[in-house]
Amino acid sequence: MKNIYSPIKAVIENITEETPTIKTFHLKPVEPIVFRTGQFVELTVPGIGEAPFTPSSDPFIKDRLEITIMNVGRVTTILHNMKPGDVVGIRGPYGKGYPVDDFVNKELIIVGGGVGLAPLRSLLLHLFNDMDKYKRVSLYYGSRSPKDIVYKRLLPQWEKRDKFDLTTTVDMGDETWKGRVGLVTTILKDFKVDKNQAKAIVCGPPIMMKFTTFKLIDEGFKPENLYLSMEKNMSCGLGKCGHCRLGKYYICKDGPVFTFEQIKDLHDIWD
Amino acid sequence: MQQYFYLKKEDLGDLLSEINKSHALFIPSKKDDDYIYLSFSQLQPEEIIYSIYRGVEPIKSFLTHSREIVNEYFQSFDSSAEAKPIAVFGVKNCDLSSLTLQDFVFEQGIEADPIYKKRRENLLIISSDCTGFKKTCFCLAVGNKPYPEKNFDINLSPINNGFVVEVGSSKGETLIRRLSQYFTAATTGQIAGSKIKRDNVVNDLSQHLASVNMPPKDALQKNVREGYESGVWKEQMLTCVECGACNFICPSCHCFLLADDMRENKSRRIRIWDSCLYANYSRVAGGANPLNTRAKRLRNRFMKKFDFFPDNLGQFGCTGCGRCIEACPAKIDIREVLKALAKK
Ligand SMILES: Cc1cc2nc3c(=O)[nH]c(=O)nc-3n(C[C@H](O)[C@H](O)[C@H](O)COP(=O)(O)OP(=O)(O)OC[C@H]3O[C@@H](n4cnc5c(N)ncnc54)[C@H](O)[C@@H]3O)c2cc1C
Ligand code: SF4
Ligand code: SF4
Ligand code: FES
Repeated sequence: MKNIYSPIKAVIENITEETPTIKTFHLKPVEPIVFRTGQFVELTVPGIGEAPFTPSSDPFIKDRLEITIMNVGRVTTILHNMKPGDVVGIRGPYGKGYPVDDFVNKELIIVGGGVGLAPLRSLLLHLFNDMDKYKRVSLYYGSRSPKDIVYKRLLPQWEKRDKFDLTTTVDMGDETWKGRVGLVTTILKDFKVDKNQAKAIVCGPPIMMKFTTFKLIDEGFKPENLYLSMEKNMSCGLGKCGHCRLGKYYICKDGPVFTFEQIKDLHDIWD
Repeated sequence: MQQYFYLKKEDLGDLLSEINKSHALFIPSKKDDDYIYLSFSQLQPEEIIYSIYRGVEPIKSFLTHSREIVNEYFQSFDSSAEAKPIAVFGVKNCDLSSLTLQDFVFEQGIEADPIYKKRRENLLIISSDCTGFKKTCFCLAVGNKPYPEKNFDINLSPINNGFVVEVGSSKGETLIRRLSQYFTAATTGQIAGSKIKRDNVVNDLSQHLASVNMPPKDALQKNVREGYESGVWKEQMLTCVECGACNFICPSCHCFLLADDMRENKSRRIRIWDSCLYANYSRVAGGANPLNTRAKRLRNRFMKKFDFFPDNLGQFGCTGCGRCIEACPAKIDIREVLKALAKK
């Protein structure tokens, strides 16, 4: 029987520095790890520990995956100090991922905050594979400052696509910044979509998720059309260790993506 | 195969001795007012006793260990390769009922835990009726009987000079076939006799619980839910020292933490029982902690046991064994918490 605690070996092929605190790791697992967009993996530094991350790469690419990681603590600091050629481990994928079938023939509003754009990048790459299926995709992205914007190298390419538009903002500008300044909620207005039908997909830090949700509901989006990436302490990713409970759900097993409708009556969802 | 057999009292030792040949058998041994499980091989025949209520250790300690290696990196690893299958005698219903919870967590869900599954499949459970109870027992108040109803292989119900033996599984059936020399068919009189004894214990325990004044079972989930914002959590939690004893001794608690360990240049993953009363239980990256007070952590424990499990499994995450009441150095009493919530 398969050992559920055992990771698959993966080699770091390349590392892209996205921002001073965020790097994208290009990984080649020794056997293919097939994930659906929005599913997450447990990334292991052998002998040190593991942490959950959502791959940010194209889910249709089977033999490699990319993970975009912010340096925030014990495991992520060690990851940030690793070099191409180093070996890590991957368990998973876990969770349900984005219900992409529900997005077909819909206008999609995608809202990202900070490193929260990482899972959304994999969603976008999934959508870009067949844009005929969707009415329109609008990405709203907020980061703290211009230097904290991830995928700077990719955003201009995305912007050239048909049926896609991008609005960015930063909390605080600097001398180089010519774009919008303000929290991401300030750009969530004047939607030219059918708010009864449109789907909104949100990923970012808890506080951003909270205010974005309130704003979108205020704008008239439906709770069942709001897809939120929830985050809690996780250990196993398997629905066993108990850590990620959110009301009657385990985030690792029943999520990490939930509709607001599913969770709006639960206690303390933004904590 | 028929379900009920009769075992003579004087044959119990021989039966256990036979079982000990094929299994590593653990039996209850009296220590002050409690029972602890000891290896049958270490005991003398006169030390074989019938325990009247549950032992100190929860049954889960035979299935997951407080700290164990679950993986050696990038190598095939099988910690479930145990020499002899384990058998436990004298398991009571509060522990049997907790197996439904442990099985739900470790055997079911998206993937089964292979280490647990193997141990569980190999575990032989010889349960027995409670013929008495501890002051802290409250199984009836959470919907459990003081006698086994499921999750056993064979069960012993004492009657005069012997036991009515009930077969609970195919494993139990095989055992009785193999050791048929000890068993005869139980008569209806013997079966009726064991039922009367059960009813007497139920009556005595009901009376005891009436004096404890436990809220009705059907109101527990509602009380815990509706008490979410109540001051009870804080009032009850003032003395908690965050030792985790209540979790570790609990047959129903299952939370664990995976951690990594490097020794002799070999990295391995270990699994450790975790406690939801520990300050860092829910801490996330960057230091944010949704359960940042002891009151919130106590509430989380009760929400898990009396809200999450009923919703997901149709059973409380508490079997009423009373162990946490005895284990708590701060004298925090689950019954008192439930009572206080009912009053609000
Ligand atoms: C589903 C999901 C997807 C995610 N996707 C991404 C992503 O794509 N990109 C990204 O940057 N982040 C992502 N995150 C967040 C990421 O998981 C955290 O940033 C990461 O866990 C931080 O790990 P750390 O050890 O560096 O941080 P720390 O703050 O050091 O620790 C974080 C966790 O490890 C535990 N811990 C810390 N020290 C110890 C210790 N000594 N022993 C045992 N446990 C310890 C803590 O209790 C805490 O739970 C995601 C989180 C979830 C839940
Ligand atoms: S919560 Fe306490 S009484 Fe209930 S099963 Fe656990 S240890 Fe026993
Ligand atoms: S046993 Fe008592 S003191 Fe220890 S963690 Fe539990 S409630 Fe707190
Ligand atoms: S991470 Fe272990 S139960 Fe969800």
